[in-house]
Amino acid sequence: EQQRFSYRQRLKAAVHYTVGCLCEEVASDREMPFSKQTIAAISELTFRQCETFAKDLEMFARHAKRSTINTEDVKLLARRSNSLLKYITEKNEELTQFNTEQ
Amino acid sequence: MEGTGGGFRKDLVSKLLRLHFTDSKTKVSGDALWLMAELLTIFVVETAVRSVRQAQAEDLALVDVDQLEKVLPQLLLDF
Repeated sequence: EQQRFSYRQRLKAAVHYTVGCLCEEVASDREMPFSKQTIAAISELTFRQCETFAKDLEMFARHAKRSTINTEDVKLLARRSNSLLKYITEKNEELTQFNTEQ
Repeated sequence: MEGTGGGFRKDLVSKLLRLHFTDSKTKVSGDALWLMAELLTIFVVETAVRSVRQAQAEDLALVDVDQLEKVLPQLLLDF
């Protein structure tokens, strides 16, 4: 139980680090700094959002009778916002192109 | 092909997702992981940018938790 807890904490710390870097980029771009608490809150939010994402992806794959999550499932996850779906679809096409060139 | 500069790493995304799968047989393809890393990066950047816009609208010099809280409901509707 203790080990499970510390594994979670380590993942949270990794998320916090990545969120910190991304917020730093946005802050210098827009010349608007973030308080430490805000970055911590965005990290916590992102960590929790992963639970929803993971469960949705697993269900989407299962709905298609697959046990492996693929890019179609990720695209389905991005369905709520048109611009997000467009971006993810474009990224997916870039990836497919990259794969065929390899 | 690595993700956007300071974005999420594939191995971290993989661990984050696996933490919440209910079926131990569930796997994620490499391409899907890469795309999920992109999506998570967008999620964070979008959250940050919307909070900045809120702080600007309020004429503040710093983004604080209050600004994040104000943009949160619409953000979660979009993801």
